[in-house]
Amino acid sequence: MSKHESHSGGEGLEEMPYLQRIPRSTPWPLVTAFGVTFIFAGIVTNPAVSAVGAIAGLVGLVGWFREVFPEEVTEAIPLEKAAEPLPAPELGPPPEKPLRRVVPEEIHPYRSGLFGGLAGGVAMAVVAVGWGLTTGQGFWLPINLLAGILVPSVGDADAAALGAFHASWFIAAICLHIALSVLVGTIFVVALPMMPRRPLLAGGIIAPIIWTGVAWASLRVVDPTLEQYISWPWFLGSQLAFGLVCAAVISRFNLVRLQVGRSLEDRLELEQGPGGKS
Amino acid sequence: MTTVPSHPPALAGRRDGAGFWERVMAWTCSVDHKKLGLMYIGCGLVFFLVGGLEASVMRLQLARANSDLISPETYNQLFTMHGTTMVFLVGMPVLLGFGNYLVPLMIGARDMAFPRLNAFGFWLFIFGGLLLYFSYLGADGLYGAGVAPDVGWFAYAPLTSRTFSRGNPTDYWILGIMVSGFGSMTTAINFMATIICMRCPGMKLMRMPLLVWMMLVVAFLVLVAIPILTAAQAMLLFDRQLGAHFFNPEVMGSALLWQHLFWFFGHPEVYILILPAFGFVSEIMPVFSRKVIFGYPLMIAATVGIGIISLGVWAHHMFAVGLGPVLDSFFTASTFLISVPTGIKIFNWLGTMWGGKLEFTTPMLFVTGFVAMFLIGGLTGIMLATVPFDWQLSDSYFVVGHFHYVLFGGTIFGIFGAIFYWFPKATGRMLSDRMGKITFWLMFIGFTLTFMPMHISGVLGMPRRIYTYELDRGLEIWNFISSIGVPVQAAGILLLIWNIFRSLRKGRIAGPDPWNAWTLEWATSSPPPEWNFDRIPTVTSARPLWDAKNPENPDAHYV
Repeated sequence: MSKHESHSGGEGLEEMPYLQRIPRSTPWPLVTAFGVTFIFAGIVTNPAVSAVGAIAGLVGLVGWFREVFPEEVTEAIPLEKAAEPLPAPELGPPPEKPLRRVVPEEIHPYRSGLFGGLAGGVAMAVVAVGWGLTTGQGFWLPINLLAGILVPSVGDADAAALGAFHASWFIAAICLHIALSVLVGTIFVVALPMMPRRPLLAGGIIAPIIWTGVAWASLRVVDPTLEQYISWPWFLGSQLAFGLVCAAVISRFNLVRLQVGRSLEDRLELEQGPGGKS
Repeated sequence: MTTVPSHPPALAGRRDGAGFWERVMAWTCSVDHKKLGLMYIGCGLVFFLVGGLEASVMRLQLARANSDLISPETYNQLFTMHGTTMVFLVGMPVLLGFGNYLVPLMIGARDMAFPRLNAFGFWLFIFGGLLLYFSYLGADGLYGAGVAPDVGWFAYAPLTSRTFSRGNPTDYWILGIMVSGFGSMTTAINFMATIICMRCPGMKLMRMPLLVWMMLVVAFLVLVAIPILTAAQAMLLFDRQLGAHFFNPEVMGSALLWQHLFWFFGHPEVYILILPAFGFVSEIMPVFSRKVIFGYPLMIAATVGIGIISLGVWAHHMFAVGLGPVLDSFFTASTFLISVPTGIKIFNWLGTMWGGKLEFTTPMLFVTGFVAMFLIGGLTGIMLATVPFDWQLSDSYFVVGHFHYVLFGGTIFGIFGAIFYWFPKATGRMLSDRMGKITFWLMFIGFTLTFMPMHISGVLGMPRRIYTYELDRGLEIWNFISSIGVPVQAAGILLLIWNIFRSLRKGRIAGPDPWNAWTLEWATSSPPPEWNFDRIPTVTSARPLWDAKNPENPDAHYV
């Protein structure tokens, strides 16, 4: 048994106060509190009140001190076995298959979220850049608009500046895009197995539509520049591209059963000490 | 594993045949955490009635335009005393009282770690409250008679300077809260020591009931936040009594410093008031959904996250000061961030109810109401965390509506749910469920009538703390509806009081475990003996009574 569990296992129980005896009632905390209050009340009433408070507080403290030194004044618990803890209930053996449904029972491996997120991110970028090119606003516009979430100076840029290449904006946009893509991919890993019936439909289409709605409602606060220039049909298209590609990549990986009931040490296969867990 | 001795179903601590004074002494000299918890709750509820009465008079004054029912001076005193009372003398003591009563029982301990310090903390709270209210008799204000403090519950400088706040009422406010605060700090130390050191065999941290986790985080927040307030109040006392000038901008002091210090305490204080209520919901909701709490580890992580993030959001109360874009952005972001763990909790409660075998008893109704009301309060909080929005509505009735949704719809609904849930444990008798449901609906309807229109009157431009308003500003109808809600709530509260007193004498005998619940307090008799458990229990999971009742399918196999 680990040191951490020694108390919980009962070995350290003798250190637990009030096993056989409980503290006796006493007026001294009340008297001390009364004294403390009067000391302060004297500031706004009369110094004599503070003096009374100081005396009461001192009397209370002395009385309190004598309650706990040299030995704490206690009363015995009138029961024979009060100091003996009850044994733990006898539990049945762990079942082969869990009796309870734990959702999700299975998920895709986390690395699939990494690949799916990156693939979805590429698909999204293709659609977004396609929007910039087909509408004549330039290759760099969608990238710079994305950078606006992180870089406040994008908000002050005019249309010409937004259509041009800026190294710092480009780095900011790339970092943000990769981070968000991988994050959403990881969420898909757990979320897709819980979608009813057709995960590709729910995860690849419905979720992006909902997300587009949320973005539509909040973008004017988060990134007003992006909101000013954005084309919502194209935005929805890029989200759908991400969702479908990401979900399709992730669903190619086999599901992995979650190891419910196993401790973290077990799952990490940490070395076990003699006679059980370390 | 259950240890259920037979102890008489009467109010804990009452001894048959004991005389009146003996009983008074048994309570006043007690160091038993259960009696102290009940005294905290009882005294807090008395202050709740006083604070409610103050609010009722204010609503009566505002029910119609140009009303002269009370003077502006009296109105200032009322809102100051109402806010101070509800935060310091109702919310904190009642919640600490529930913690006092329940934490040792839930972790299988016989008492708190420092029982005498526990009693000391309680008496400091009660004497601090009495000192504050003594101002009505003893504080010689402008007119030489006793007057209550009138500087608002957050007592902004320089209004609190001797120039603008004559006489002693502000000093009473400082000293009453300061003394009460000492009590809160001692109690917080006690909670931490008890929870960390006195758990029964098998009660690992990750097996503790969520309420215990919430109280641990609350104790941490109290120990961080209250000393800041106490220090600020000591500085203010120096300003007022000794001529110092910490908060006087004319002589190199800073009025803004008070706001920073106060709100560094003030916002964690919101979480001190709401986290225990989160704990009530997390205990009650699974029992009446007949399901294990959804995402127990995540709930703990969210609680700890809230505790940490709440220390970094205080200046969102100060956007109107003009902090500059960097600070505004930081505090907006941190406030948005705290909505993440809070949202996790809401989702987890819904996840707990989802697919459960729901039983809408009175406690369940209150905690369900809590989730709805708190969600509204939380969402309007996010709106106010957005700087341009806050600039428009800061110090308006919108803010009053927002924080009442959090602290009344949240904390008070949680407390009411807890009263109905744990009353059988404390007294051995059940409260009437029928009366409880009527109480809930009266409270719910009255609450909505009172506080929902405040959002509209705020948007229409009604500032908070004004004692009356002009006709034809579009405010009359919304204020009238707000005031109509007060008697509806009052009826609900009076019915609860009647229910309590009636049930103490005639309520159905509860037995040790009337709700078929899972945490350790239900493993002992109702009310529990002074030593809590005849034998200290040994637990195997976060739901020890479930394991004892279902050894073939215990939680121990899943955590």
